[in-house]
Formats: sequence, structure tokens, C-alpha cells
Amino acid sequence: MEDKLKTTDGRSLRSGSFMRFMIVVGIYFAAALFILLGAVLQATGVIRGFLSVQNFINIIDTVSMLGIVAVGMAFVTYSGNMADMSVPTTMALTGIVAVQMLQYGFWPAIGIAIVTGLIIGMINAIVIGRFRANPIIWTLAVNYVTMGVIRLVWVNKQIYPDTVASTAGVSQSFDSIYRLNVVQHIGGNDLLNIRLPMLMMLILVVIGQFVLSRTSFGGQLKMTGASFRAAKFTGVHVESVIGLAFVVCAFTATLGGLAVTSLSRVGAWYNGAGYDFRAVTAVVIGGMTLAGGRGSIVGVLGGVLIIGLINNIMTLLGIPTLSQDIIRGAIFIIVVGINAKSLRSLGRDDT
Amino acid sequence: MKRLLLLFAVLALVAGTTFGQSAAAKKNLEDSLKVDVSVLKAADNQPLIVLSTEKKVIPARPANPEALPETDPLHWYDMEYAGWNTKKVNQPKSPGDGAIGKKIIFIVHGDHPWTTACILGAKKVADAYKIQFKALSPNWDLAVQNQMIDQAINERPDAILLIPLDAKTAPQQARKINEAGIPLFLFNTLPSAEAMNYCIAWTGPDDFGQQRKLARVWADEMKKRNADAKSIGVAYVQHAPGGSPYYARCWGPMSELSGYAPSVNTLIKDAPGFDADKASQVVGDWLTRFGPDLKGIFAADDSAQAIGIFEALKKAGRNDVVVVAAGNSRQGMDLVKQGKLFAITYQTAEGDGALAVKTASDWFNGKPVPPVSYIPQKIITKANVDQFYPAQW
Repeated sequence: MEDKLKTTDGRSLRSGSFMRFMIVVGIYFAAALFILLGAVLQATGVIRGFLSVQNFINIIDTVSMLGIVAVGMAFVTYSGNMADMSVPTTMALTGIVAVQMLQYGFWPAIGIAIVTGLIIGMINAIVIGRFRANPIIWTLAVNYVTMGVIRLVWVNKQIYPDTVASTAGVSQSFDSIYRLNVVQHIGGNDLLNIRLPMLMMLILVVIGQFVLSRTSFGGQLKMTGASFRAAKFTGVHVESVIGLAFVVCAFTATLGGLAVTSLSRVGAWYNGAGYDFRAVTAVVIGGMTLAGGRGSIVGVLGGVLIIGLINNIMTLLGIPTLSQDIIRGAIFIIVVGINAKSLRSLGRDDT
Repeated sequence: MKRLLLLFAVLALVAGTTFGQSAAAKKNLEDSLKVDVSVLKAADNQPLIVLSTEKKVIPARPANPEALPETDPLHWYDMEYAGWNTKKVNQPKSPGDGAIGKKIIFIVHGDHPWTTACILGAKKVADAYKIQFKALSPNWDLAVQNQMIDQAINERPDAILLIPLDAKTAPQQARKINEAGIPLFLFNTLPSAEAMNYCIAWTGPDDFGQQRKLARVWADEMKKRNADAKSIGVAYVQHAPGGSPYYARCWGPMSELSGYAPSVNTLIKDAPGFDADKASQVVGDWLTRFGPDLKGIFAADDSAQAIGIFEALKKAGRNDVVVVAAGNSRQGMDLVKQGKLFAITYQTAEGDGALAVKTASDWFNGKPVPPVSYIPQKIITKANVDQFYPAQW
């Protein structure tokens, strides 16, 4: 598949394995620079507590749910469809559905929530994959419709797992989606606080990276993202490939939604708000171009970690959240700008 | 002769109609006055409508409150005492014909379980008076709220009840409704003082007052746990910027403690929003930054923010931090019951909406309406939390 890609769209696929490796190295180098910055700030007494195992675990822990969502978002971006803006309400809806279904037990609730998420993914898949609807406009519309459904069905109320669950144990199981200490659970040291979402993020990164780089679906997705028309002429079933990317995104949004809902111990319409932009920011910082066909999931993990480090350093510096939002937005704009410029120099527009 | 007869007939018709209307209005007023909303109950089994029995002491206004430091309680004079010293402008006269059958439009600030409970409480009173009740929610969008106000004015209701989304934009909104000749009642959040000139009355929580009360309980506990400490470091997790809770739930306690407990020292404040994960990240980083110096946290929200705070404290292995929060959601009350949250404020959501409709109904009934009415202030701790179950939201 790689050979085909190079022959059909030589310019856009000029970067080979070495280039991809260098991009990933660059992202982790940037992460290392942020760690160095934190270390310097600590050494000069500006901040404290940065260089500690607990702080680094905290950083990864706080971005683990973002990482879960970003893996799926990366599939959409990689397919050349920029972003799935229905992620926030997919997270909210699947979370609230899971809580509501706890009356039938833990696993049925999880199963129904996943099916709900996949249905949203399938709708996006059909409309964007088959009918080529504008992905941003369409998924924004889906976001609004899903929000409307939540508001209509649950009348803006929030549902508590312990009031719905069939037994206290079922409620506790749902609670532990976010809180389960994996290390402690397998008999390890309880001081090493590795929670389930962190493990889920790492597993998804491994699977996502394998799928993108080692499977025929990954190759077809790369080709479709790099050049939709070339992929179509080569015989790739682009509708299915793009559709599957949205289904994957909905699946990871569902997992993220379950974790967020478990954390807040409440099913509510607002769970997941803001995850769309945050996930796209992580994907772009992680070296994936909005034009599609370039980047890696390992790079996206780097992007997620950079966001975690930036958040951590800014809070340790005492920068208010509102100012942090401006800084994160500015970083996004700069990265997208650099990305577009480098693509133009390669003969492609980031559009 | 024929003309004279016709004139008689017309006069008789007009007189009859007027008399008939006046009799109907009188009957409607009598029926409205018979409605007893004091028997209504909120979902938490507390009476739906209870007025604060505490007398609010209104000090003299300083010449320029904003020139005073933010830690001086009088710096917040125009917000905390908004409505008490206003000159009402262009106020419509009460029709005095009874609340039954009136049409009111109830515009809230946004979708939230609290708002759902607030609308439910308002609806209970509206139903008791057979008031046509229409609730609108702009979902936290000021531009949408302004559109909804225009829409409401066009519908010519008998009154508009409004939660201003932004304290500083409220005067423009209130003036517009006032100029349209529609009676306006503001409730829940405090607008800046000028908006009070254009409304008939404001109802809601004495947010500054109850946060000051909560601050004292908080400071007492922190001083008890840190008896030897010369300085007690605290942090504030703030409400969303713009509305009065942003000010009342941070500078309210902060300015109160500057006099009541000067040893309490503010280390940091921030408004991370209402996501548990974001609150957890911010507080986790504060714990890293300030370590054992951080002894107390005051949260503007006892639900998602409080959940996030306790996740961060758990990860850091800290159970010595005294956390208090505003509100009494189900999550907050559970945390109080578990002994995690030290105290929260009782803030009846249903009662808030109900009092606004009750005040408008009193005005339709021709009763005198005070310019400001507060819902009661209560502090909920582990000792009394059971009285407040089940939660309203």
C-alpha cells in the first residue's frame, strides 16, 4: 500500500518512515523542552513541586480522558475530514444512557452506551462518507440535535448512578471506571496511582498506532486523507474508509464519555463540553495535519502530553484559566499556521 | 328620538361592559387572594416559599465604593446592596385585578439541573394561580437572552421575570423591558445597581450574605484544625465570570475574612468552569504548588467542582484541607454526609423560582411588594444534612 501511495500522490506522500519518525521525535523533543522549562522554573524558585513523580502522574492522569478522545479524533483528521464536532454530545449522551441503564446491571449499561455511541458514529459515517457532507457543519448539526435529544428526554435533569443502579455494587462498578487504581487492583503499590483511564489511553494509543501504520485500513485511510480522488481512482472504497474513521471516533468518544460521567458521578448534558476543540488541539500539536494523511497516533499522544504539561506549568505559575484558554488557542493557531506553511512548501494546501 | 334611543343603548352597553369587567376583575382578585401558596412543598419536603427572617442591615454607601480595596466589604456595596437604595423609574401601576389568568414569561440564564428545579418551583406557584407560564432558556448565551427579551416584549405578557445573565448588561435589558411598559421582576442573580431602577422587585438569595456566613464557619474550622498557625493559606474555585455569583462567592468570603479572620490568607483564586476534570486538574496543581500551606478551599459550586476538588485531594493523599462550597446539590449533600465537604449553603432552587412568581402574583393582587426579598440562609453541615434530603437537583 505504501508503494501505491507514493506512486499515486508522490508530492503529498513525500515524507517516508524516517520523516514520520522525525516528526514524532520533534513532538517528544518539544515535550522534553516543556519539562526542561518546568525544571528551570523550579530551580529558579518560580514554581515548586514540578519535578516529582506524583506531579507527572497527575499530568498524565488529568489528560487521560482527553487522550482517549483524541485517539479517535485523530482517525477523523487523518482521513482528511478535519474534526468531529459531535464528540461533546456523544460523550454526554452515552454517559447519561449508561447511567440510566444501570438499572439493568453494569455490563448491559456499558453495552447499550457503546451501541448508542456507535449509532451516532454510523450516522456521521453515512452522511459524511457516502454523501460527502461538510464534516464540520454536519457534525456540528449532529451535536445540536443530540443536545436537543438529551434536553428533551431528560428535561435538563442530571441522573445519579446510585439512584438508578440495580444494586450498590453496580453503582460502585460504574464509579470505578474513572477511579479504579490499576496497580493496586493487580496487587501492586497503592502509592502508584495509575487509574483505568490512563491505561485505556495507552492501550488505545498502541492499537491506534498499529491500525494506522500496520493494517490495510490504515494505509487506505492515509491515502484517502492525502488525496481523496487519487484514493478513489486506486480502488479504495473511500466511503467506507471515511465512515469507519467516524465510527472509531464515536467509539473513543463513548469511552471518554463513560470516564467523564464516572468521574463526575452524574449523567448530565454538559459532560464532555469542550472536548472537541481540546482533542483537535492535541491532534494538531501531535503533528497531524488538518488536511489529512499525515501524522501518527504516537505523535498525538505527544500532543496530549504537551497539553498536560502546558496546563500544569501555567497553573503552577498562577496563570488564570481564562488566560490559559487564550494561550492554548494561540498555540493552536500557531501550530496550524506552521503546518499550513510547511504543507504549501511541499506543494499541498492545508485545506 | 331614534338617535336618542341609540345613544342610550350605546351608553348602557358601555356601562354594562365596564361594570361587568369591573365585577369580573373584582371576582378574579377575590379568587386570587384566596389562593394559598404557603402550603406548597419543594422536592426536598421543605416549604416551597419561605422568606428570610434575617434583617439585612444596609450601611451608608461610601462615596466611591470601587476605590476601596477588594478585600473591603464595602467595595462590593453596589452589588451586595443593589436594589435597596434605588430610585424606581417609569414603574407601571399594579392592575390590582388578581393574578389568576395572567401571562408571565420567565427567562432564565441557561440549562442546568438547578435551573430545571427553579422552573419547577416557579411552575408550581404559577399553576396555583392558573397563570399562563412560559419559560425560556438562552443556554448561557447573552446574545440569545437579549433576543428572548425582544421576543418576550413582542408577546406583550403581563410581566417578564428575568435572571440576568450578566450583571453589567442587566441595566440595558431592564431598561428595554421597562420602556416597553411591561412589568419586570428580576430574580436569582444580582444585577448591577442601575438595573434595579427599572424593575418592580428583585427576589433571590442574599448571595453575599450567605457566603459571608459560610466563610465564618469555614474560618472557624480551619482555625480549630490549625490552632498554632500564624497564617492559613486558602484558595477559591470561582463561579463563571460575569454573573454576581462570581463576585459574591469569592470576594464575599474574602472580604468577610479580612475582618473576621485576618490570619486566613488567600493564596490563589481561579475560575476553571464546572467540569470535574478541569477542577481536579487545577486543584491538583495548586496542591503541588502550595503543598501543606494550602489549608482550605472555598468552591462556588458544590457539585462538579466539589467532585473534582476531592478527586485532586484524594490523589494527593490530603484529608486535612477544609473544603466548603456554595449550593446544596445532591452531590454536595452526599459529600457533606460522607464528612468530606465541611459545609455548604442551603440554596433552594425551587424556592428561588417560586418566590419570583409569588412576588409577581402579589403585585397583580395589588399587595405592596418590597424592592428586595431574600430566600432564607442556612448552613448545611454533617449535623443537619439529613433534613435536606432528598435534594432538589
